[in-house]
Amino acid sequence: MTMSSTPTLMARHRAPYGDLAMALLVIASLVAIPYVVESRYLLGQVILALFYATIASQWNLLFGFAGVFSLAQMAIFGFGGYATAMLCVYFGWNIWPALPVGAVAAVVFSLLIGLACLRLAGVYVALLTLAIAQALYLLIVTDTECFRMVGSACRQFTGGAVGFARFGDFGTRALFRAKWLVGNYAIVSVLFGFTMLCTYGIVKSPIGLAFRALKDNPGYAVARGVNRFQSQLLVFGVSAFFTGLAGGFYAAHFQAISPGILSLSQLLFIIAATVVGGIGTFWGPLVGTVVLMVADEAMRETGEYRTLGLGLIITAAIILMPNGLIGRLGDVVGWARKRFAAKAPSLSATQ
Amino acid sequence: MSASTLIAILTAGLTNGAVYALATIGLSLVWGSLGMLNMAHGALLTLGGYAAYTVVTTYGLPAPVGFVGGIAAGALAGAILYGAVVKHLLKQPSETFETNVLIATVGIGIALENTILLVYGGQPFRQPTSMDGLLRIGVTSVPVQDIVIILVSLLMMGVVGWILARTRMGRAIRATAQNREAAQLMGVPIRRVYLQVLMLAGALAGICGVLVSSITQLSPSLGGDPMLKAFIMCVIAGLGNLPGAVASAFGLALIEAFVQFGAGARWGFPVLLLIVILVLIWRPTGLFGRAAIRRL
Repeated sequence: MTMSSTPTLMARHRAPYGDLAMALLVIASLVAIPYVVESRYLLGQVILALFYATIASQWNLLFGFAGVFSLAQMAIFGFGGYATAMLCVYFGWNIWPALPVGAVAAVVFSLLIGLACLRLAGVYVALLTLAIAQALYLLIVTDTECFRMVGSACRQFTGGAVGFARFGDFGTRALFRAKWLVGNYAIVSVLFGFTMLCTYGIVKSPIGLAFRALKDNPGYAVARGVNRFQSQLLVFGVSAFFTGLAGGFYAAHFQAISPGILSLSQLLFIIAATVVGGIGTFWGPLVGTVVLMVADEAMRETGEYRTLGLGLIITAAIILMPNGLIGRLGDVVGWARKRFAAKAPSLSATQ
Repeated sequence: MSASTLIAILTAGLTNGAVYALATIGLSLVWGSLGMLNMAHGALLTLGGYAAYTVVTTYGLPAPVGFVGGIAAGALAGAILYGAVVKHLLKQPSETFETNVLIATVGIGIALENTILLVYGGQPFRQPTSMDGLLRIGVTSVPVQDIVIILVSLLMMGVVGWILARTRMGRAIRATAQNREAAQLMGVPIRRVYLQVLMLAGALAGICGVLVSSITQLSPSLGGDPMLKAFIMCVIAGLGNLPGAVASAFGLALIEAFVQFGAGARWGFPVLLLIVILVLIWRPTGLFGRAAIRRL
């Protein structure tokens, strides 16, 4: 008994070292990238990837860890971005105080969605959140009512199909001049690191265990005193905070926000990244985002086949490796460890 | 409100309701018997519409043949969906099936829609598989196509009801929906039932696509709007409940038509959504849903 339980105990103790090594690797890469990457285009793509990885990690927290299949992720991201932009446009705020307020607005928005949806069972949550996200998108795109005049042009309250632009930036242009993109990169990296750190803390905390218990066996979790509705509402709000914050940073980085980010293809990319990397694994969304961004760059040559390729990658990934790349890696490591463990005693026996 | 306005609104509501009902039945049927939410349903609609267009425009065949072409393309796509995706996902652990199949069909839907965009281009076409002309009703006149849509939709509902209630295949589908394991033990070929259901749902989507494109236009994103509406109708009716799906489709479509007349076209969908959310707060299992006892 003791002999057989030792490897699992060891594995449980070993796990944080693996995460630590991965974290150091990620930090080292983040620090090295601005020194290695010369092209502005490429650095811009890396920043975009960091945004995607941040959103994907929050969708993963929601679905992979807590089992809430929400399709309103980009709507919450967009809500944070729009709230930040509108505070700057209509109240003349500086971007920095607008960012946290925008994030809190996204939390309020998500809690309203959560109150309406989370009493329902799994698949109905997906249906209703998708419907809400699409309604928001359609309302913004079809908004034609004049709210204010900019010069001779009429602008809508929601920005309409065009959105908002030039409402302020991080202040990196004034500070770093030509190197402003590196400054933005540093800010977005810090956002990403902060989000990942907090997410790790949540996942490993008692409340994180409650989320996972609700996903793995809802009946048992509820019987042990976990309140399903409250816990899921909590995780909805937490992930919305980071998602909305990322939305504000996104708006500030591009100095623009338009309804395009609410479209279905953006949501699809986030889901694809999580699926390819590994749903319910901490590093999965990051790995998946990197893989998909590289694949996307490779498919740039084919131009219009990009979306088609993305759709097929999602389907193929879920059929061939339902646990994602991280899951496959785990399979390989487990297999190697078993091989090693099987060989080790025979070696000691011969000596 | 004059009588002619009222008739116009009612016609629009009933026509849309007929289209939504067909889309909702397709989704609900697949959910009820396979336990899967087919996110590619909208793309199957689009495929049906374009298939009918191709048969009539490229091959110069008459409109009824185009209609059959739409049905055939939908059914074929349903079969391919089973063979290429669903069959393999059924081999995975059953507790992840529900979400995995949802994600996989999202991927298929986007790939199919994009393929249509690449083949036909983004510019909208007029659906040739339709009927022109107006029918006089009292003081006003109603497009013949609207009447055709309502009749075809009612006919299809009758056919689906007949298949489910009266045929051997329908019995097998209902048995599988009730209890998969028990049906299997009784000798029902589960996999063939899955294939049949997906082909039937694909055919329904094909018909729905031809109908919806005949009152709007053919475009690669054609199926998105009916599918979205069908989603919230499924939520109201409870997935897998076919009579409820039909009732909520017509009910919500009529409400939508009145809202669009009163407050403008863009408020139709948000108001529907609000109604759905209010209904769910009142009855979390849907208007017609019974509280299902789930085995954990």
